[in-house]
Amino acid sequence: MAAAKPDPNFQPEIVVLYCRQALDAEERPPEGARQALGLGVRLVLLPCSSKVEAYQMLKIVEQGADGVLLLACPEKACRFLTGSLKAERRVQRARQLLGLVNMGPERVALRRVSGLSLKDILALAGQMASEVKALGPNPMKGDNLQ
Amino acid sequence: MKPRVGTQLEKVLLAGHFALTLEIGPPQSPNPEPLRKKAALLKGLGDGYNVTDNQTAVVRMSSIAASKIILDMGCEPVMQMVCRDRNRIAMQSDLLGASALGLRNVLALSGDHQKASAAGKLKGHPGAKNVYDIDSMQLIATIKGLRDEARQLGGDAIAEPAPFFIGAAWTPLGTPRNYRVLRLAKKIAAGADFVQTQAVYDVPAFAAQVAKARDMGLTDKAAILAGIIVPRSAGMLSYMDRQVPGVEVPAELIARMKQAKDTQAEGIKVTLELIQAVKEIPGVKGVHLQAIEAEELLPEIVAAAGLSPRPQV
Amino acid sequence: MIVAEWKPIPELLASLKGHKNILLVGCATCVAECAAGGEREVLTLAPVLKMGLKEQGQDVNIITKTLERQCEPEFVEELAEIAPQVDAIMSLSCGIGMQLVAERFIDLPLYPGVNTTSLAIREQPGLWTARCAACGDCMLGETFGLCPVARCAKSLMNGPCGGTRKDGKCEVDPDTECIWRLIVERAEARGRLEDLAKVRPAKDWSNSGHGGPKRMLREDLRS
Ligand code: SF4
Ligand code: SF4
Repeated sequence: MAAAKPDPNFQPEIVVLYCRQALDAEERPPEGARQALGLGVRLVLLPCSSKVEAYQMLKIVEQGADGVLLLACPEKACRFLTGSLKAERRVQRARQLLGLVNMGPERVALRRVSGLSLKDILALAGQMASEVKALGPNPMKGDNLQ
Repeated sequence: MKPRVGTQLEKVLLAGHFALTLEIGPPQSPNPEPLRKKAALLKGLGDGYNVTDNQTAVVRMSSIAASKIILDMGCEPVMQMVCRDRNRIAMQSDLLGASALGLRNVLALSGDHQKASAAGKLKGHPGAKNVYDIDSMQLIATIKGLRDEARQLGGDAIAEPAPFFIGAAWTPLGTPRNYRVLRLAKKIAAGADFVQTQAVYDVPAFAAQVAKARDMGLTDKAAILAGIIVPRSAGMLSYMDRQVPGVEVPAELIARMKQAKDTQAEGIKVTLELIQAVKEIPGVKGVHLQAIEAEELLPEIVAAAGLSPRPQV
Repeated sequence: MIVAEWKPIPELLASLKGHKNILLVGCATCVAECAAGGEREVLTLAPVLKMGLKEQGQDVNIITKTLERQCEPEFVEELAEIAPQVDAIMSLSCGIGMQLVAERFIDLPLYPGVNTTSLAIREQPGLWTARCAACGDCMLGETFGLCPVARCAKSLMNGPCGGTRKDGKCEVDPDTECIWRLIVERAEARGRLEDLAKVRPAKDWSNSGHGGPKRMLREDLRS
């Protein structure tokens, strides 16, 4: 596929999967598990970062998201002991597979965080957006995306 | 005792002389000239010349053809045969063919796995399907059946016996070491007449294994030829010590090679000492001597070791 | 279990060239245990194939389905509803299940999504190692329960070759145990090293694939 000309107005769509435990105790998660936050950012609340499988992250990319950011607790601070480690392995697997089909492994990433506020999440999503911007819009974007 | 087969190697051993075998590797070429050149260089030097069978799983001129070529030049071959590439049908057929060509010494080996080739500089054939229909032990027994009973492995008779002087390999210091003498016993029970060993540098350790074999009566049943590889450098020795299965090199020996001003001269000196040392081990009946990529050193070494000229028997 | 592994992605993509509607079918038995063809792998591979084909300019629709057991006709029957909607099937089961699917849907091309490699065990999480080669002449009783046919790189019958590494690993692979070293150790531990002293004669391979395709018949079970 020919590389698309960088579109200065391109605003990547980022899906943020975040661990409940990484959220600041004072912070109330937005109502409902799934919610859009700001422009091009969707949030998905997880009880633990290990609740997401590689295939789910791949599916999100296949459906057109430009980036998937998984926010997990620090390795030693995982409430379920090995949850965030599992999450890291799965992110690695998803990245490896994305690389094999030239979709850009960067489209899936993991960050270890704690005491998050919603503002932090937005900021991290913004960072992720600028990281995947160079890849251009996800070529899978189309009628799949709700 | 009358020789069973009558090869030079057998007669030398039977007469109680200290035997000497050397090695001539077939070329990666259809041209026999490189082979003839090596044979001409080494002719008269040893009692037998091992001709390798696609060693390290790299395709070379067949062991049978190369054996015949050097036989015609007056070098008695020890034809090697590995179990990797042929099934029992092909091997027995080749043995009959080899016999028809006048080849009488055979060395039965498992053979390097086809992946071994990929470990070196060459591509080899790591994708090959190996055979291993029978193993080296069973090959020895098969050759013995052809010779002693004029019978194939499957039970059918052959018109007349195929006379072979049967050789086997032994890795006395291999892992698991406790089993290695038992494995030698099995090879001898299967029919091995002579045995060539993996390279010896640690003489006391080797002597201890030979002593065990002697206690089991094995050294009376088969002739053990100690493997000696001329050391070329300290690097080579420490590589062999670390990487080559069944080879132990004493640290002093490596240090000695390292300190030597003239490594080649030192390597020859070490070789001569090793030959002398294994000669003194009761039950060791000869040496299998190799100078890897330095065959031109062999005439000098053999002469200096007092192994020249070879006995006429 | 029967162990399989994904074929390389480029090979999979190449095999699906020209197809539009693809059924990707898994099996919840052995290949699920070895993480090659269970539901999770089916769901993982589907988006990967879709993205990979899209990247090559091919739009496809992939229907996924994981059968309880792909080597049983009644489970394969569950695909009958989907089959009319697709123009190709890719199976992630072992070669046995694949053939049953190919036989049932004879008009549809069937592509293997995995290479079936071995009869193996999950030795550790994420590590499967061969145990049996279905040789048809089991000798485990003579080798202290360790199989040299499947686990010795040369299928040796009479003890270790000269290549056993110093640390006891096989000459062929520094991460694989020399099975003969382990057999000898077990024999020693039981004080039965002598059992390994007799020469084991050449094996009869005729009851394995070498004797022609295996056909096992039990009259008492025939209907
Ligand atoms: S001996 Fe044969 S049947 Fe028994 S485990 Fe090994 S390969 Fe399988
Ligand atoms: S090292 Fe052991 S397992 Fe490997 S080929 Fe030799 S005997 Fe077989």
